Amino acid sequence: MSFFKELTKGIIKENPTFVIVLGMCPTLATTTSVKNAIGMGIAATFVLICSNIMISLIKNITPDKIRIPVYVVVIAAFVSVVDMAMAAYLPDLHKSLGLFIPLIVVNCIILGRAEAFANKNNVLNSMADGIGMGLGFTLSLSVVATIRELLGNGTWLDMRILPQSYNPMLIAILAPGAFFTLGFLMAAINMLKEKR
Amino acid sequence: MKFYLKLGFILLAFCVVATAILAYVNSVTKPRIDELKRVAAQEAMAKLIPNAEFSDVVIHLPEGASTPDSLVYYIATAKADSTKILGYILSAEKHGYSSNVKTMAAIDTEFKLINIKVIEQAETPGLGANCSSDSFAERFKGLLPEKLLVDKDGGEVKAMTGATITTRAVTNSIRETIAIIRKDIESRANTLPEVEA
Repeated sequence: MSFFKELTKGIIKENPTFVIVLGMCPTLATTTSVKNAIGMGIAATFVLICSNIMISLIKNITPDKIRIPVYVVVIAAFVSVVDMAMAAYLPDLHKSLGLFIPLIVVNCIILGRAEAFANKNNVLNSMADGIGMGLGFTLSLSVVATIRELLGNGTWLDMRILPQSYNPMLIAILAPGAFFTLGFLMAAINMLKEKR
Repeated sequence: MKFYLKLGFILLAFCVVATAILAYVNSVTKPRIDELKRVAAQEAMAKLIPNAEFSDVVIHLPEGASTPDSLVYYIATAKADSTKILGYILSAEKHGYSSNVKTMAAIDTEFKLINIKVIEQAETPGLGANCSSDSFAERFKGLLPEKLLVDKDGGEVKAMTGATITTRAVTNSIRETIAIIRKDIESRANTLPEVEA
């Protein structure tokens, strides 16, 4: 397994949202606008890289029987440290990303990758896995958010795309719109896969 | 038995280390975070009433009347002349559609609204969440507290499309808070005649 392969697999082949179907809560909740989606994606990527490295480092001193509670403690403590440090030393960044940090602690992608990858692989590959999965997550969030923001608000990244006369389809940015969009996207991806 | 005890102790060790790290980081960052919060609040106030200095007043509310037992508002005095009162800043809070909506409002000495700023909310994106925009604050400018009611309730605040509940929460919380501090300000004016009303 090469470093590069671990890095790229999360983007399409093992995309965490559309293929592994992990992290559905943030996918549904933060895709009301592209700005939120990117913010969530970046914050999750950062935590994912760091937690993968940490789990990979402690994998040899954790007894197998209690590994899940240990990972939960390690990840939650680590995320809280990042949250506090960011609030104190990078207040501007915290203003835009801080909202997502408590959501990340309970994001199953983090624990999912710790369990499925980082506790079996070395630090370098775990880091690559974290980067790839994070990018894949950011990408799929942005795709969902693009559709929802365009239909529901007529904008993309707060820029007006559709003319002012467009009557926004409000349901797209309300909760049901998230399920519709995700459902259609997954169906489309499955269709493409079967054709191959 | 011994095996499980050992596992328990290992987990305990992880938790102790994690707690110690958290406690240390918290003790280092807390003063900085508090200071940043204070500065941010000051900046928000300076935007509502420019060129002013703020001093806080605490009102103790009668018990049982409402949930919080005290309320803080700020008197804004001109930077150049500390006896000249420009207005007051208050923060109001009420539950909207899906979250607590916190608003900071500036009123002049006639209790007319100068400007408002929604500082905390998690309302429906695209609908109620628009209450943090400037165009929403615009609807409140220049209104007297008597007219602070949503148009559907017979007042002059135009409700946002599809978000009457959010608009109502902001409007009513500000009106109710103004009523409380108005009483306090007027009682002060009576006891201290030298303060300009």
